[in-house]
Amino acid sequence: MSRSAPKGLPWPPKDSPPARGFRGDGEGGTGKRIPRPGGVRRGDRARPPEAALLRTSGLVKVYRADGVSVEAVRGVDIEVAIGEFVAIMGPSGSGKSTLLHVLGGLEPATSGEIWLRGQRVDGLSTAGWAILRRRHVGFVFQFFNLLSNMTVADNVELPALLAGATARQARKRREELLAELGLADKAGAAPARLSGGEQQRVALARALANEPSLLLADEPTGNLDSSNTRDVLRLLRRAHDRGQAILMVTHDARVASLADRVINLFDGMVADDAAIVPGPRGVNGVRDVLELRG
Amino acid sequence: MRGTLRWARADLRARRGQALLTVGVIAGVVAALLIATMLLQGALNPWQQLFARTRGADVLIYFQNGTNTSELSSLPGVQAVGRPYQAASATLEQGPVKSPVQLRALTPVLPAMSAPLVVAGTWLRASQRDGAVLEASFAQAVHVGVGARILVDGIDGTTVWMQVIGIADTADQGFYPQWTPGLIWVQPGLLRQVEPNPSETQEVVGLRLDDSSAVATSQVVQTIWNLYNGPTENSAVERYSTWQQVQNSMASNDRLLGLLLALFGIIALLAAPCAIANVTAGRVLMQRQDIAMLKALGFTPGQVVRMLLAEQTALGAAGAALGLVAARIVTSSEFLRPPDGSPVGLAPLSGSWLALIGVGTVLTVALATVIPAWWAGTVSPIAAVQPSPPRGHLSLIARLGLLVHLPAALVLGARDCLTRRLPALLTVFGLAIPMVMITIALTCWSTIDGFTRDPARIGLAAAVTVSQGGLPSRQALALIGHDDQVLAYYPSAEFDTLLPGANGTFVARAMGYSWRPYPFQVVQGRMFHAANEAVAGQGFLDLMHIGVGAWISPTIDGVPVILHIVGRTLEPDNNGDVLDFGLDALRDAGSAPPQLMYSLVLKPGVSAAAARTQLLRASHDQLDVQLAANPASGLGVMQVVIAVSVIVLAVIALANLLTATAVGLRDHRHEVGVLKAMGLTPRQVMATLVVNATILTAIGVTSGILAGLVIAPRLINMQGQTSGIGSGIAAGLSALTIAEILAVALAIAAAASLFLARHTTWMADSAQLHSPTRPSRPRAHASSLRNP
Amino acid sequence: MRQPLLALLAKEPAHGYELKLALEQIFGQAYPSPNIGQVYVTLKRLEQDGLVCSQDVAQTTRPNKRVYELTPAGREALRAWVDEPIDGPRIRDEFFIKLVLAPMAGLADRMALMNSQRRHYLSLMRRLTELQADADSADTAARLLIEGAILHLQADLDWLERCQEELV
Repeated sequence: MSRSAPKGLPWPPKDSPPARGFRGDGEGGTGKRIPRPGGVRRGDRARPPEAALLRTSGLVKVYRADGVSVEAVRGVDIEVAIGEFVAIMGPSGSGKSTLLHVLGGLEPATSGEIWLRGQRVDGLSTAGWAILRRRHVGFVFQFFNLLSNMTVADNVELPALLAGATARQARKRREELLAELGLADKAGAAPARLSGGEQQRVALARALANEPSLLLADEPTGNLDSSNTRDVLRLLRRAHDRGQAILMVTHDARVASLADRVINLFDGMVADDAAIVPGPRGVNGVRDVLELRG
Repeated sequence: MRGTLRWARADLRARRGQALLTVGVIAGVVAALLIATMLLQGALNPWQQLFARTRGADVLIYFQNGTNTSELSSLPGVQAVGRPYQAASATLEQGPVKSPVQLRALTPVLPAMSAPLVVAGTWLRASQRDGAVLEASFAQAVHVGVGARILVDGIDGTTVWMQVIGIADTADQGFYPQWTPGLIWVQPGLLRQVEPNPSETQEVVGLRLDDSSAVATSQVVQTIWNLYNGPTENSAVERYSTWQQVQNSMASNDRLLGLLLALFGIIALLAAPCAIANVTAGRVLMQRQDIAMLKALGFTPGQVVRMLLAEQTALGAAGAALGLVAARIVTSSEFLRPPDGSPVGLAPLSGSWLALIGVGTVLTVALATVIPAWWAGTVSPIAAVQPSPPRGHLSLIARLGLLVHLPAALVLGARDCLTRRLPALLTVFGLAIPMVMITIALTCWSTIDGFTRDPARIGLAAAVTVSQGGLPSRQALALIGHDDQVLAYYPSAEFDTLLPGANGTFVARAMGYSWRPYPFQVVQGRMFHAANEAVAGQGFLDLMHIGVGAWISPTIDGVPVILHIVGRTLEPDNNGDVLDFGLDALRDAGSAPPQLMYSLVLKPGVSAAAARTQLLRASHDQLDVQLAANPASGLGVMQVVIAVSVIVLAVIALANLLTATAVGLRDHRHEVGVLKAMGLTPRQVMATLVVNATILTAIGVTSGILAGLVIAPRLINMQGQTSGIGSGIAAGLSALTIAEILAVALAIAAAASLFLARHTTWMADSAQLHSPTRPSRPRAHASSLRNP
Repeated sequence: MRQPLLALLAKEPAHGYELKLALEQIFGQAYPSPNIGQVYVTLKRLEQDGLVCSQDVAQTTRPNKRVYELTPAGREALRAWVDEPIDGPRIRDEFFIKLVLAPMAGLADRMALMNSQRRHYLSLMRRLTELQADADSADTAARLLIEGAILHLQADLDWLERCQEELV
């Protein structure tokens, strides 16, 4: 993995995973979503370790402030396969966000190992992490966190430019992304003029600008109403269909239920880690819902 | 790189006002620095400007009359030859006083080279044959103005009356009386009247050289000398002067002025980076979340630092360029030229000076940005998503304040100063530092003001010195004693004296008697009270490496005198290399009674010029009356410099205040909504913000003034000491002035914050309440039942 | 089935088959489609209880049809049903009892219980969201029903989280 982005590097990065193409209908989100048969399960121990996009072992994050230390993450071992969609749930204060931040290098881990794309990255410097994030890790936050001084177009183009794309490449990519997200007419707007849902879609476009192999999302729908939530989920699913692995922290069971796998964090540790099996056989249609509620 | 550029561009666009403010502050500082330097250079060395404005000659050659000078133009190194003109020596007669002059015959048409620059009256006119134009410093020294009639004596005794029709500057020679004779320009006919004998006149030719360096100049002079003063006895070149000699002669060796220049350089150098660091730090504070987000996106800390550095440096460069242009515009206009035509003016700065100031500014900006930029580099990317919770709680005092029904705005505003420590510190420092500088500047002003208003304070009790001139001493004494404008007079005598055991000289001065000494300003020890006691200036003590209390035995007027130095005086004369004692000390030592002069202390309200006129009239121009030179007279320009500096510093302080207030308001935006929701009226909310800003300003300004009051006298006294006048010259600011400064500062602060606060408060959208505070549970989806 | 039929008859008299069609049309997929025999049995019982009365109407080409009509007693009963508030959904008391008792019996630890319950809920949730995605957008009743079920499920999951926080 290159630790810097020399000008001559191909863009988009050659070593990003091949796009898998659309599965199901993808478009419109009204089609039946087929559970991914290839979803990697925990316990699938036969798989060679290289297949894991992200792997941690014994990850610990301790905050020390005013002589008091708080263990936010206490020995977490998780794996995310290439292209896998994993949700992290858990009560408030269970360390979900902290785990995500540590995995993205926003905060250094106190101890433990983080392997990303077969490389050990927990020892990277701040700058090393920054360079890694440019190409391989995208972030989406609950409060969108768009750069207020820049237009929507600039916000989306910035990561591409940062990764070494030319202005033209970045603009082309931005136009594609914004068109796909239905924001083509907002390119010149200031983020503050956009609604929450629009802002989150721009944030998503920004995170996807470099086609990162891992998308880290922290409560991406936490601040949105249900229709915007649906839009954002549809976009996430589309990115997922294209082969991007997603690790998403969420409180929302409906959002989590779309993942291949749900990890439940409790008190800084993994309490449960299981694939979501397709719904109960008995529920075949809407009229079964009444039975369901008994 | 591209990403960085994109961000910087967007950032500059989004913060246009702040960027302009930064550029403006830097431009102001650079312009002030340039103008101050030019003014002081002009004061210290007026030659360059005069040379440029009069199109001066590099070399003046004085030939015997009738010499063929046509060969000059073909000499190597000579670029141009001026029109030759006649010059004759003569004497200006003013009663008993005779001053040597040189008459120069020019035509009403000004020559192309070294054309005198008329500063008062007119140039020679064909219609007025007896018209004369005097060189400005000479005219000042002999107290002659436009319209006066003067009497000029030729060498052979011919006397001619002339009408002074103009005063002019020239770069041909130094100022009178450092450079004699004095210059008078007349028309050729008048010159022939004074000096009819052509063999007694000289022919003066000015030369412009290809290369005016000292080496080249002396080479050309040598060539001319060899050419005309060949082996023959007849030496056609009588004398010459070069621009280097003129420049050296004009260069003031007033060390006080030079040191003040240094002080102001330091002030600008300190204040400017402080302002820039403050503005940048304020920016980092305001943009913490965005910077954190940039880092989350993949900006390395190094990139963030470089980006801020580059951006600020670019602003610095723009500011410096703008400052250069502004200074050029200001100085090229006639606006700064003193109207009295005194030779104090602006010296055009050399390119290297300009480059130094420009590059220095940009470097200073970069240096001032380093710390806040580094700080920005260390901002954790996590700050983007975890807004730091608002700190602080109502302190006991605040709760007490609310309990006793102090206005809520007052309590909340005061509380903000304590809970938002970093912005508060930035405001306080941003104001305190310019205020320190302003206090120093104003103390300089008040010191200089003191020099002119109360000369006795710096040892210049006597405004007028009288020597008996053509009168017997008894009669002279009687005239002085009966003058109703004279409060007191002190007989005195001055001797240039060799330093005991060292090379160099000092002035030994007997003034008054040990029982009635001249009112020296003794700042250390005491006045002399016995014949064997003396006081000395700082310069003398430094020369001798002694202090008060030492015994010395100089040989004064040929007689060894043993003296005990009992005090130190403020001594503006002769760089302070002065030893003062009573006349009785000389008498006791057995020296002959010296030629006495009388130092006159005038009654309050009497001007020195009026006293002089009255004495001259009473003595029928027989007394020689000299006005005492005040070292502050050359410092008038300093007051201009100080005024400019104070304005620039005030602008810097204002810029800092605005930045800090903007940071505070940005942080407050959420709070404003909450406060309103709590039931505070918009007026109360505004008052809260204004109270906050005003309290911080009060703290900043007060601490700045206090520090300035401590530092300023020390700095000025240090300068006094090095310049020989001696420590103790500083005049403090009056309590009234301090109160005024404080009031003005507070009024400006309140007005500025009111302006900004209004802006914030009226944006009364409830959006302010939608701040990123994390809900503990996800929102229910029940809110939308309809599908789009 | 009784109350829906009474409610439909309150509008206008109808025969059995008309009632079945009306039910299907109003509720769409949100209501289990009744079979016609069930409708007739229910009507018969309502008539026995004196809530409806019926009379045969002759038809030319077909056999006679029996048209039902609401009696005053029936109207009274309907009003009483509409006016009475419905109890809120009950806690999954069976799971709760398991959660409390199972560890005592040494059969399972609570964490495992809660995890398996959560997995089940999440599977259900996935199914519901799929149903929601499939739901005909014109079928308002169906959409509302699914939405309600999802919200209940979310509440169950939140409650599970509370249990986790309190009991583990």
